[in-house]
Amino acid sequence: MAEEKTRLWLMFPTRLITRPVIWELGKKFEIITNVRQASVNDEVGLVSLSLSGERDEIKDAITWLEELGIKVEPVEINTIEG
Amino acid sequence: MRGSLRLPGAGFPIVVKWLKTEPLAGSELVMDKPSPFFSNLKCRECGQLYPKQAIHVCDFDFGPLEADYDYAAIKSVLTRELIESRPKSMWRYRELLPIDGEPSVGMQVGFTPLVKADRLAKALGIRELYIKNDTVNYPTLSFKDRVVSVALSRACELGFKVVACASTGNLANSVAANAASAGLKSYVLIPADLEQGKVLGSLVYGTNVISIHGAYDQVNRLCSEIAGKYGWGFVNVNLRPYYAEGSKTMGFEIAEQLGWQLPQHTVVPMASGSLLTKIHKSYKEFLELGLVEHSPFKIYGAQATGCAPISHAMKRGTDIVKPVPKPDTIAKSLAIGTPADGYYAIHSMKQTGGCAEDCTDEEIVEGIRLLAEYAGIFAETAGGVTVACAKKLIASGQIPAGDSAVLCITGHGLKTQEAINGKCGVPRTINPSLREFEEQVYNPDNASAAAQ
Repeated sequence: MAEEKTRLWLMFPTRLITRPVIWELGKKFEIITNVRQASVNDEVGLVSLSLSGERDEIKDAITWLEELGIKVEPVEINTIEG
Repeated sequence: MRGSLRLPGAGFPIVVKWLKTEPLAGSELVMDKPSPFFSNLKCRECGQLYPKQAIHVCDFDFGPLEADYDYAAIKSVLTRELIESRPKSMWRYRELLPIDGEPSVGMQVGFTPLVKADRLAKALGIRELYIKNDTVNYPTLSFKDRVVSVALSRACELGFKVVACASTGNLANSVAANAASAGLKSYVLIPADLEQGKVLGSLVYGTNVISIHGAYDQVNRLCSEIAGKYGWGFVNVNLRPYYAEGSKTMGFEIAEQLGWQLPQHTVVPMASGSLLTKIHKSYKEFLELGLVEHSPFKIYGAQATGCAPISHAMKRGTDIVKPVPKPDTIAKSLAIGTPADGYYAIHSMKQTGGCAEDCTDEEIVEGIRLLAEYAGIFAETAGGVTVACAKKLIASGQIPAGDSAVLCITGHGLKTQEAINGKCGVPRTINPSLREFEEQVYNPDNASAAAQ
């Protein structure tokens, strides 16, 4: 399968802020993670993340993140209007 | 360097510090610069410059890209007289639009009427009121024809043969119509529960209408996947920097039609917040170019209470825009729970001294009726939102009664008839009899007595 690349915004809930989720992501799935920005405070963690890998692997990785309780949005979010 | 990181899906702006490289110098870019005015794309967050291609996100920080211009070059050629000498369309401001050559799509779009609405002014309790009436924009009766004309003109320049969009209706109609006229193949992706008028308003142009089950977020994800995989020109994804600039023409026209001056107060409906930020940009550009005199102006945003993430953030005094997971309003064209430009819209309102307001579905219907009964303009639900919120802003004194205001009305009411069906009364049915007419409808004796 062809390699794909996707760009995401992740929002971590308070309970997951200290968990090394992106390290786990790289171990669990055959994907390359590339953090472009990150910000953490007491309430929330925000990460802009690029993922490279096979399409199904990326989809599974996103599903895993969402099941953990992380809000995952493509950077193209909010294309709908009008 | 200091910057802000925001998660559009959460509307969470968090100010952070990060290291970043300096923006590339213009000479370092791969430049395709036939336009002496439209220079580059530029990251709104970090200022990084990019070539004028079908890209919309900064590779560095994922910030949105927008068109960047050489204002000195524009100022040296663009005058009121030159603009006035051109045909009455949005392209009379073409130096301030992000295309390289002559426009090729939507040549008749724009220059819609700015209607002085004295009766509506009286009904709302303000000295002077204008309606920027994009319900009669050509060809699909909404302001979306402005943004689509720019996006598709640029799409042609970039060599796209297939164009597409994700839409709640108006944008789909406009892409379908303008692509048909330009001979481009088009696909429009819509939510499965869209109003029938808007679905037909796309199908008729022979476009490929794809109705998608699921929430808007899921539709958005599919669009981003398609845009990435097939290389289509998605007007509101990879062509977004060009598309968004088309909204500025509404502001340019308002200023020109007011006699080259800025309105004291402008009320703008907000979905993503993009239109409001672009109207603000248009006023600033006219000021920078010396086309209007400096005068105080305030910009206000209007939303439906059932989906008011920007208005609620503004009222809380924060720029943290909390998403609305399940929008619930009849104003479907404004029902964006995760507004991408919400943060920027809040800052535009704050910078100008304006504010935000929101209104219930009942108030939206009343707004539609007020506009129709007092100004003769039939607007879609977003227009009802704008009128209803303007009424509240005037009543609360946030827009002073002694001032002058412009309301931006963005789409025609024929598209959302379901919203007011059964709420405007029913026709009285009589037999073809004069006696019955006088008994049941109009009695001249009673009418003259009443007049006395």
